[in-house]
Amino acid sequence: MKVKKEVTFSSHKKTVVTDSYLSFRKYEQKRKIGLFLIYLVLIVTCLIAFFPLFWMFGTSLKSRVEAFATPPIWFFSPKLDSYKTLFFKKNAGLFLWNSIIISMSSSFISVVIGTIGAYSLTRFEFKGSQSIAFWILSNRLMPPVARVLPIFFIGQTLGLLDTRISLIVLYSAMQLPFVIWMMRGFLQEIPRDIEEAAMVDGDSWFAAARKVTLPMAMPAIIATAIFVLILSWNEFTFAFILAAGRAKTLPPSVLTFMEEGTVLWHEVGAAASIISIPIILFALLVQKNLVRGLTFGMLKD
Amino acid sequence: MSKQKAKNVSFYRKRFFPWLLISPTILILFTIGIYPLIYILRLSVFNLFLSKPWVPLEFIGINNFKEILEDAQFFNSIRVTVMFTGLAVIIEFWLGLGLAMMARRVKGGTVFRTFLIIPMVTTPVIVGLAWRFMLFPRLGVVAWYIQRLGQMFGIEIPLLLANPDIALFTVIAVDIWEWTPFMFLILFAGLTSLHKEPFEAARVDGASGWRIFRTITLPLLKPVILICLLIRTVDAFNTFDQIYVLTGGGPGNATDTLSMYLYRTSFVFFSTSKGAALALLMLLVMLIFSNFFIKLLGKKVSV
Repeated sequence: MKVKKEVTFSSHKKTVVTDSYLSFRKYEQKRKIGLFLIYLVLIVTCLIAFFPLFWMFGTSLKSRVEAFATPPIWFFSPKLDSYKTLFFKKNAGLFLWNSIIISMSSSFISVVIGTIGAYSLTRFEFKGSQSIAFWILSNRLMPPVARVLPIFFIGQTLGLLDTRISLIVLYSAMQLPFVIWMMRGFLQEIPRDIEEAAMVDGDSWFAAARKVTLPMAMPAIIATAIFVLILSWNEFTFAFILAAGRAKTLPPSVLTFMEEGTVLWHEVGAAASIISIPIILFALLVQKNLVRGLTFGMLKD
Repeated sequence: MSKQKAKNVSFYRKRFFPWLLISPTILILFTIGIYPLIYILRLSVFNLFLSKPWVPLEFIGINNFKEILEDAQFFNSIRVTVMFTGLAVIIEFWLGLGLAMMARRVKGGTVFRTFLIIPMVTTPVIVGLAWRFMLFPRLGVVAWYIQRLGQMFGIEIPLLLANPDIALFTVIAVDIWEWTPFMFLILFAGLTSLHKEPFEAARVDGASGWRIFRTITLPLLKPVILICLLIRTVDAFNTFDQIYVLTGGGPGNATDTLSMYLYRTSFVFFSTSKGAALALLMLLVMLIFSNFFIKLLGKKVSV
């Protein structure tokens, strides 16, 4: 850029013009090569990021022979056989249904409770609200494998092992810190004054919160709910250890397709596609808030 | 009017009401956070073996902790966990930062972002499975082409997941594949939100690119960097799903992280009390680490 300026500035001096013009050409050339290299790196990165999903989906459309072929087959006529086996012979329908019920209801519960909690943390000036927020966050940092042991025993005592309700309660509780921190970030951006104005106009606190703050926070609540849905849907450790039978969700169910002598990769591919493709589509919906979601609302996109 | 306003402001100063609103959260987190903690604290001082129900339950004090601290496997797990977490997070950070610096200079950053979301949101078990499949000797597509490539250059390529010297690095590479996008997205957002003035001023002063990066970009990005390092370190330390599926801690105990070790102790060998003691140790490490980090964060960013 600096060189370009020189060209216009010193255009009346002929020698300088040719000189700097040459270096300008050189600079432009260098810049173009640089840009080309950047694009190359970015495109290759995209391909690497996309490939495993592409390959698993592709494998799910292969027959058994094609899935096990060496060298790997790239072109084949797609079939839906592996999906049929999963749903008609291996009970994938039940696991899918469990996954849907558990992740949906736990997202709903945690978002409702968490939004109220976050509202309390952002709207009111009370002692210890900051420490409570951090205590809540610290709950999220515990290793899941370390937490699952006592919960396993509690579940055993209460006779709640392998039930949908236990996973719903657990996930709702587990995602609470996330919901609170996300909603806290969002609610801090909705000024309290608007709510106050409604209260001055004679509304009760509840009516003011419902009529003013809630509609304004709705997009945020939906985005948070989608994030929680993704987290619950993907959860493995708790589901794997606490729900081995009737309440099994999709992620641990994949292992049952694996443990039958040889791994049936075309079926595993089908299961992988059923699990991950819907959730990736959901994630694309919240792209705008992704950075927020990834950092517990600490950073904004 | 002003009286009413004053009343409303005092409404937000209520002592009891906010606690009422947050009480369900506190209650739930107490039952799922603190109560289990007390429970494992109690378990850890007994000698409960689910695999040996005939052994009478006895109070054995700190014997479980002693046993763990005398176990070579435990120290192996610490080594593996530290290597996994450290290497993965550092490499992800630099790769993510590099990609973010590049993406900032071109158009079409959003398309790029869309593609990079995929590894992150794919179910972790599926990530493990997909890579296990692709790295499967002979059968896997990646393994096959790497083998071919090796033959072309006359290099003997070892088995990526079955070789004890390589397995940990393969697992780390999968983690890098999965989580570099995380670093990229956050750092990219951080970079684009920086003000342009200091950079322009530095350029006018004739500072070199590297110098600008070191003395302006990095310091300005510091809060963002701290946050993404914190979150990634905690998550990497806790990683279980991918490793369980990829190697199950093997071959031998080459990829036996603390999470895997804990899982085996309590759910494969059913040494419940030892598992509880181990879980406590892990929680302790995480608490110390995160407290330290949150203190650091509290100074840098107002959250």
